[in-house]
Amino acid sequence: MQQNTEYKDVWVYCEVQDGALTRPTTEVIAGARKIADRMNMKVVGVMIGYNLEKVAREPIYYGADEVIVCDSPLLKSYQALPYTYVLSDMVLRLKPWAFLFVANEVGRELGARVAYKTITGLAADCIDLLVEDFVMHTPQGTLVFKDCIAQVRPDFATRIAKIFTPKHRPQMSNVRPGSFSPLPRDETRKGEIIRWEAEIPAGAFAVEVLEERRLPKSNVKLEDAKVIVSLGLGILRDASGNPRNPVEAYEHAEKLAAIIKDRLKVETEIGASRALIYAGVKELEGLIIKDRQVGQTGKTVAPDVYIAAGISGAIQHRVGIMRAKKIVAINTDPDAPIFQIAHYGVVGDVYEVLPKLVQLLGGGEVEA
Amino acid sequence: MLILALYKAVPARTTKIVTIGGVLKREEMDLVMNPFDNKAVEAADFLKRAYGGKVISLTMGPDFKLKPIASNLFEAPVEGVDESYILSDRRMAGADTWATAYTLALGIKKIVDTHLSALDELLSLLRSRTSPQEFREKAKELYEKNLVPNIIYSELPTLKGSTLSDRLIKGESDFEEAARVIQKVKEESERFIVVAGIKTSDGETGSTGPQVAEALSGIYGRFIPSVTYVRELEADPESGYLYVVRRIGDLLQKLRLPLPCVITISTEYRPVPPQLKARKRARLFSYGKKITESIVYNADSLNADPRNLGFAGSPTIVGPGIDIGAPPVQKFVGKTLVLSTRVEEFELNGKKYGPFEKFTKADTLPPEVLDHLREKGVVKLFSLEDLVEELFGVRVHVAAKH
Repeated sequence: MQQNTEYKDVWVYCEVQDGALTRPTTEVIAGARKIADRMNMKVVGVMIGYNLEKVAREPIYYGADEVIVCDSPLLKSYQALPYTYVLSDMVLRLKPWAFLFVANEVGRELGARVAYKTITGLAADCIDLLVEDFVMHTPQGTLVFKDCIAQVRPDFATRIAKIFTPKHRPQMSNVRPGSFSPLPRDETRKGEIIRWEAEIPAGAFAVEVLEERRLPKSNVKLEDAKVIVSLGLGILRDASGNPRNPVEAYEHAEKLAAIIKDRLKVETEIGASRALIYAGVKELEGLIIKDRQVGQTGKTVAPDVYIAAGISGAIQHRVGIMRAKKIVAINTDPDAPIFQIAHYGVVGDVYEVLPKLVQLLGGGEVEA
Repeated sequence: MLILALYKAVPARTTKIVTIGGVLKREEMDLVMNPFDNKAVEAADFLKRAYGGKVISLTMGPDFKLKPIASNLFEAPVEGVDESYILSDRRMAGADTWATAYTLALGIKKIVDTHLSALDELLSLLRSRTSPQEFREKAKELYEKNLVPNIIYSELPTLKGSTLSDRLIKGESDFEEAARVIQKVKEESERFIVVAGIKTSDGETGSTGPQVAEALSGIYGRFIPSVTYVRELEADPESGYLYVVRRIGDLLQKLRLPLPCVITISTEYRPVPPQLKARKRARLFSYGKKITESIVYNADSLNADPRNLGFAGSPTIVGPGIDIGAPPVQKFVGKTLVLSTRVEEFELNGKKYGPFEKFTKADTLPPEVLDHLREKGVVKLFSLEDLVEELFGVRVHVAAKH
């Protein structure tokens, strides 16, 4: 067992794109702030790349106390081996208490390698971070580990589990985008920038980046939408079980999203369940695209209103929408699990309820 | 080229989940192949048909539960897995991704070493100036165990007579050339490829692939690359490089990586049929047999440190589960009773109630209060109009209703 007392501070791996911190990074800084304040520790941003001069202070503006910057032309493009080398070296020498990543392609790979290399645990897909004592019952008696991070993540069964890393440090997690709200950017916040000179062995550059290109940016913006109308497999059939053309349901959803946007002056978007996306419905090609996926493997969303139409509500989906302020569930099956977490339930046919909502919203008057 | 396809058995959707303190009891559940690992097996099959070698499936878990899943893989498209290994030991149970990666990496090393020592046996025969007949006998024996590729010995009709063993007997080759060929096969075996799914459908962490690469880096004392979310794949067995395209968010990276390496295969990966020319070379470097009985290794045969295995070797512990709470107030259209208007404070049987806002849920009020409000005519069933009004603040015109 390691001496845990010498480990301090909560680190956040900071991702930079187009000269700015990515939004999920700012969210993880907010999550780190929460547990660091509870522990009287600092939040430290860790940034690797090239030409980071301008962006280095950004983590501080978003709530960090310090930033460690490793800036080198050799580190211009993300590569697992040299990035793992640099981060593991920092961890072993500076001994952070916790190290958080964004649960995306980079954070998952990098965090996993650094955790293995530094012999510590990694909790993936966290949706919340708490500080709690961890009580372990063993045949030799009860052990209490004071002030551990309870790393909250969806469980494979039907619930949410808390993962603990009681004996190893740092406690590492990757955090799902959408789990925390970024702190307001504040340019008056002060903090130290620490430059990290890395001597990276040549062997770490075994992989060569031959080409990089950006795919056209998706214009689906589930993260920013205040109202999301989301469709599930239920739209393939109506209440009597007859097959329906799901494009019709999509058009109803589109109309509903448009009328809400128009009447309430808020951003709206159309989402979809994983089941509907993976069903690969031919008619929906180009409409129900992967970027619309809400849920564990898709996006975690936090709109004011989430309308789940024809979504049964597997645990992964429910976890993805639990931060929505109000959930409206429309489903023909009164036993669908989605109703357990819905504020408003409509047991009925999507093909009747959605057009009715459009009609009501179109005909009604907005209250001041 | 040794192509190791990692897979995991996950609880079937239909099975009852059995856990003890958050750790899955796999031996008591119906298990199926993790759907994401099918892509890994597809990619492994493509690599073998294009560049030669063999596909070896590798997993960890209770062997009696895993054998049926392993057997299915021998029939996987297109040519199926050639060999199957299962790491099974009670001490491996309850592993998190760290302990899993540690164990799998030892399994990989053990498999690779078995192939290398078979080739070493042939090399030492050559060094001891054995007879070509004796060499051929040894090569045949190893071929039966699927440990040497067709280029050294084969009973395939298209290759018979032209393998290294045959050519030595016919005097068309000498021991120096033989040693060079075996050395080349050895180098290729050392440049193995590990393929895995991007994640599992039960844990969904995506951590195991990269952690296996890190574990192998530790074992071999060198940097072993990992690339996740691979959607395109090409190998150059002569130079020992793998060319991949992977996606990170909206960025496509084309990478060249040396072997050995670990790659995880995206669901977007689509194999292409290998070129005819490549297939010819591939046949020479492929292995002629299929061993359709899974080989089981326990912790001792891996020389594993028991402190790094299973629950004991796992830094993370799954704590108590929590349910996602239901919202405090739920209203169902056509079912829930609500107040149709705001009700000011009132007194009933000497008790004060209210004030109540419009749309307050009425079902949960004390029966006498509900009756009183009913008499006043302010109780109604919650309607879709009410939902729109409460949720969006859009009041529906009476005229618009009809």
